[in-house]
Amino acid sequence: MSEQAAVLGKFEEYIAHLGERAPAQQGSDDERLARAKQAFRAGLDGAMAIDLECCIHCGMCAEACHFYESTQQGKYAPIHKLAPLRRFYHRELGPLRWLFRLFTRDISLKELGEWQEFVYNSCTMCARCDMICPMGIQISPMVGVMRSGLAAAELVPRALAAGTLEQKQQGTVFGTGAAELVKTVDTLRQQGLVVNLDKDTADIMLLSTAMDVNVYTRSLAGMVKIMNGLGVDWTLRSAAFEATNFGMLSGDREAEEAATRRIIDEALACGAKTIIIPECGHAYAELRWEAANIHGQPLPFEVVAISEFLGRELQAGRLKLKSSAIKQRVTYHDPCKMGRLGGVLDEPRALLDALGVELTEMESHGATNYCCGGGGGVMLIEGAAMLRQRAFEIKMRQVDDTGADAVVTTCDSCRTTFITGAQNANWHTSVESLVELVAENLED
Amino acid sequence: MTLLDFARGPAMQWALIIFTIGIFWRLVGTVLLYRRRDFSQPRRKSGLPDGARAIVMRSVLPPELEHNIVFQHVTGYLWHIGYFVTVLFLGTHIPFFKSLLGFGWPHLPNAIVMIAAAVSLAVLVMLLVRRMLHPVLQKISTSDDYISVIVTILPLITGLISYANIGFIKETNLALHILSVELLLLWFPFGKLMHLFMTFPSRYQVGAAFGRRGVKA
Repeated sequence: MSEQAAVLGKFEEYIAHLGERAPAQQGSDDERLARAKQAFRAGLDGAMAIDLECCIHCGMCAEACHFYESTQQGKYAPIHKLAPLRRFYHRELGPLRWLFRLFTRDISLKELGEWQEFVYNSCTMCARCDMICPMGIQISPMVGVMRSGLAAAELVPRALAAGTLEQKQQGTVFGTGAAELVKTVDTLRQQGLVVNLDKDTADIMLLSTAMDVNVYTRSLAGMVKIMNGLGVDWTLRSAAFEATNFGMLSGDREAEEAATRRIIDEALACGAKTIIIPECGHAYAELRWEAANIHGQPLPFEVVAISEFLGRELQAGRLKLKSSAIKQRVTYHDPCKMGRLGGVLDEPRALLDALGVELTEMESHGATNYCCGGGGGVMLIEGAAMLRQRAFEIKMRQVDDTGADAVVTTCDSCRTTFITGAQNANWHTSVESLVELVAENLED
Repeated sequence: MTLLDFARGPAMQWALIIFTIGIFWRLVGTVLLYRRRDFSQPRRKSGLPDGARAIVMRSVLPPELEHNIVFQHVTGYLWHIGYFVTVLFLGTHIPFFKSLLGFGWPHLPNAIVMIAAAVSLAVLVMLLVRRMLHPVLQKISTSDDYISVIVTILPLITGLISYANIGFIKETNLALHILSVELLLLWFPFGKLMHLFMTFPSRYQVGAAFGRRGVKA
């Protein structure tokens, strides 16, 4: 853990000052409120309307939420996080709007400002509440609509706002662009790895992240090593290698679409049949499920997570692993956006099985897995540090109950949350990257 | 016209008209809203099986979710079952349904129905108190929650009074019971009682949405 923590140190320093670069608010209060309402209107649809119409205010969603469970504060109940959106719906869109307008007050900018704590700091959009609601209400996508409204009203937490602005204006994330990627690629090449940077055409377009380029370089190196080992036709494109999407995290739809279109355009340019998402949960959610809607038609290529791709290759017999390389009892942490919200549940476990580890599952795993506490950009929000740690303590207890020596996961954000959370709690269970484990145990 | 005549006559007619039109209006107004098309490639073909599964299985949660909400589930089932047994199987209710629908069904012994009604009433009152005290419910409750529970409780109270023939003369007790039912019918389309109709499409949606991603919800 200490080695990983040391690597993270420089990055954490960067994050701590990220908010200082947040843009100043522009526009009058009336304009900002009008933009928020427009975003709410654009985000809601008939499926959400049915959900909003059938809430019985039972509060069961709170019992699935790690932020409520760890604090016991009613304000963190998931459905409460939607209160302004629900009132907007009932007053502006619902079939009884003429009645609701008589008896309910309009939403205000001040109220939206107060909800920043609820839709950013205390919600990772992990969707565990979606699994418990007796009415079947899907709260997490509507938190996304809430975020889009707050983003339109310039009420995004400063770190996320700064990251969004940087990606929108400069195309970089954490100051990392093509030049920084090239530097890291040069380092990998010096280690003897063949890196197919900027091939004109390729079957597979591999993505990476600023985190992998700067911090988890072993994960990037691992992906390169595995691709080369499999003998597939792949490339990493410097013009669109970044899978991170700050717009998606902050709710800035314009920034979200721009970052996603950049990847789609580059994949089309190099004729890729497959895009492989690195160990990044929200990037998978964005590109696997949202990119086609941004494109306005089905994508002419498939989008797979690296763990999903490796699982498939394993099943097809093309990926061969040393089955007795690791003698540890491990547990697997499903990144919410890949597991519950992505369906990548079996492949990581198949890989762990092939690696010969003893997998012991947490009480809540797979579709009911607890979020680590740092997803949905919460990892970056300075004001959420205490809450994040409280939520992480649930995860620690779940891991401890398995008696595992290590936690394996396949998401940079989860991994970072685990490392920093463990440091804060003086917890000694190590966290490992699935890709790194696979890369280190390829059969010769 | 006596109070009982009014309750059985024009009050019931108007209550049923507003109940029917209100439900239709709210259902159609919700269903007709624009639905976004999803162009993403589903992990597997979903729809009917996943949606139908969620309609049923959302009542039977995995243990890791269930253990936090056992109280809510048990009390929820208790009062709903008690309520429906009372409404549908009390001997004096059957002729009303027969006049409305054209057919009837066997009733249960009065003693059993009264026990069901009493249990339902007791649990509803307990849940009302809980709503006022619980930190989550305090935060999320609206006037709809209190109105809905009161209009749900009133027919139970007036029904038990009418059955036991306490206080007013028999006809007045019966009239008050029928009027309380009409109040329930009048409020039904405007508040959260609509979940009776909305739950099924909502559960279907969550099942289908997660199903296309390869996850059972």
